Amino acid sequence: MLLIWCAVLILACLELSTRVGTAPICSYGQAGCHTPSLADIFDRVIQQSSRMHGISSDLHSEFEQYFFPSKNLIGKPKCHTHGIVTPADKENAQRLGREQLTEVILRLLGAWGDPLLQLYRSMSQDQNQDFNHYSSNKALEISDMVHELRDGVAKMAEKMKLSGVLGNTVGYISPEGLVPSSSFSFYKHGELNSMDHHDLLYCFRRDSNKIKNYLQILKCTTLPGLDC
Amino acid sequence: MKKVLEVILLLLLLVVTHAKGTRYSPPGKPALTRCRSPEKETFTCWWEPGSDGGLPTTYALYYRKESSDTVFECPDYRTAGENSCFFNKNDTSIWVNYNITVVATNALGRTFSDPVDIDVVYIVKPNPPEQVAVTVMEDKGWPFIRVSWEPPHKADTRSGWITLIYEIRVKLEEENDWEMHLAGQQKMFNIFSLRSGGKYLVQVRCKPDHGYWSEWSPSSYVKVPDYFHREKSVWILITVFCAFIFLILTWLLHMNSRSLKHFLLPPVPGPKIKGFDKQLLKNGKSEEVFSALVATDFPPKSSNYEDLLVEYLEVYIPEEQELMLEKSMDLDVGCLKCEGSASDSDSGRGSCDSHTLLMHKCDGVKEEEERQAKEAHGPGYWECGLSNKQPHLLHPQAQAQRQLQARSDDNISSIGRKQTPAGLHSPARRSTEYVEVERVNEEDMVLLQPVSGRCGDVEGYPEMPYGEDYSKVKGVDMDNMLLLQREVREETENCDTSSTVTTTQKPAACIHSAMPVEGEMVLGVNGYVDTATVCTPPTY
Repeated sequence: MLLIWCAVLILACLELSTRVGTAPICSYGQAGCHTPSLADIFDRVIQQSSRMHGISSDLHSEFEQYFFPSKNLIGKPKCHTHGIVTPADKENAQRLGREQLTEVILRLLGAWGDPLLQLYRSMSQDQNQDFNHYSSNKALEISDMVHELRDGVAKMAEKMKLSGVLGNTVGYISPEGLVPSSSFSFYKHGELNSMDHHDLLYCFRRDSNKIKNYLQILKCTTLPGLDC
Repeated sequence: MKKVLEVILLLLLLVVTHAKGTRYSPPGKPALTRCRSPEKETFTCWWEPGSDGGLPTTYALYYRKESSDTVFECPDYRTAGENSCFFNKNDTSIWVNYNITVVATNALGRTFSDPVDIDVVYIVKPNPPEQVAVTVMEDKGWPFIRVSWEPPHKADTRSGWITLIYEIRVKLEEENDWEMHLAGQQKMFNIFSLRSGGKYLVQVRCKPDHGYWSEWSPSSYVKVPDYFHREKSVWILITVFCAFIFLILTWLLHMNSRSLKHFLLPPVPGPKIKGFDKQLLKNGKSEEVFSALVATDFPPKSSNYEDLLVEYLEVYIPEEQELMLEKSMDLDVGCLKCEGSASDSDSGRGSCDSHTLLMHKCDGVKEEEERQAKEAHGPGYWECGLSNKQPHLLHPQAQAQRQLQARSDDNISSIGRKQTPAGLHSPARRSTEYVEVERVNEEDMVLLQPVSGRCGDVEGYPEMPYGEDYSKVKGVDMDNMLLLQREVREETENCDTSSTVTTTQKPAACIHSAMPVEGEMVLGVNGYVDTATVCTPPTY
């Protein structure tokens, strides 16, 4: 037994020592770092937002099928992000400009970080239904994605500022400043039920689509290329 | 009267309504079938009217935007055709929930359809891709198809407002199965592995990230040129290779054909007789065949004939005869030798046993002294060496011999004396002498007298009568017929000449060969033709 443990420890040490080192993205511009180009960042961000929207869309449709088979009985809720003014068509979006568009994106992303976490907690705690148990993983996933995406978009904005593409009017936006933390009470006091879950999912599906679309507009406006 | 008139009017009305066969009713419930947006900037909704209730019915579409209670009516009923409502850019808001209802109105009433909630972002179905160009290009001699297209002109992908992904399908003109390829966001695609000289159909379609697939673009035809010569060279190589392998297999089969044939059809074993010549048999000469079968080396010639003689018959002789026997042992030996020499040809004569009954002089004796000594003793050699050949004959004769010997000692001795002339036979010569019973004397003794008269031993036996009862054989002619003759006294010298006899299995052959040599009769004293005398062993 002792020998086995020794062997295991040795193997673990070897594994750690031979781990392939990754080249970190230098957020502070250190020397010798491999920094990705703006195009790469754009691609990554757009890819991430697309994935996020896909998962949230799946989750919403599953939720509707499971709980509310007949669709039209549901009243369409009012989302807590309604306060954020978002362009509703192409002309408005193009008229907005890069800086404001970036700001809108960041606001949206910031507004959803906390509610999604709450959603995940609520879903995982609710052990009565199998759906929650199965889907709480997805909720966790999109919650993480929102946080990552927000950081990514922030980095992208920084890079854009550096490269002169973006003006300096975009300041650092704190998530608390955008939406009051009591926004969550917008839905309900206390714990969330299934209806709240549904409303959250509905709202987030739409907002993630907005985010994705705004990012694509931003990219094609900033870097017109093959994909646009 | 009035009442009657009213009744008549009512009846008329009823009749009229019945005659027409229709019932007026409020319109049936219409239903919104679908709403589509081609570019995420405008959208159209279509509905299905219900029954009109027999009266002219009008349809109206009302919508309500999200977070607003204001009800608007459809701005454009015509652009999109019958039973449709077209929302232009000004009226279209993305990410806004529309609550749409269709109302059917006729003279008798109005009917509301079920409300439908739509968000334009999720009902996008673009137009098919445009400017599909298909060209045949070449890559190191192998052709391929390059398909290129443009997004539908209405969809604004340039600004990033819409992102489209594309799909291509290809098939040969005469086939039914399409080959699908997903092209992603690119606007160009290459198709390889084409059939030489084939005619292909190519179609493209597109879809936004989350929306509906467009219709397929119209078919584009393309013909692949023949690169027949390349395929032909490959076929030629394959053919040559197969032919080579086939030749090798054939050669192997031919080499092993015999063993294969033996394996499949094992041969019937033929006769295995030593000396048997199939060709002679086929030729039809049976005599030669059978003569070939005669084994010249059988029985095997061995210098020591004593090995062949397995058993000697021991004769009990009284003491007075022992000496005689001892002396005669040499003769026995000689006799043995005689016997041995005689055993080579089984020519039908009596074997040694018959000789034992005879008074004969064996050839092995070379010393006259012994012979003279024998005179006193008399021949006790009734039995010479006996062979195993005819033991059954020997035994009864042995008994008789002993008796004879016992009784006729004197006579025989006398005879024996006389029988010892100097005329020694050549060892090869075998002389046979018969003993004849002369008479039985008073003492119950059988008096014997030799029946000899040949081979030089015969001296002083003038009284040998010739059996006139017997017919003498003159000889055997060519047709294997016995030639009989009258009695003729035989001269001894005839015997001498009869030595050269070939040892054969059959007496006929023996006589046959003997005849031409001598040309004289070979007869016994009493007229018997004794083949034993004829077939004398070859001289040593």
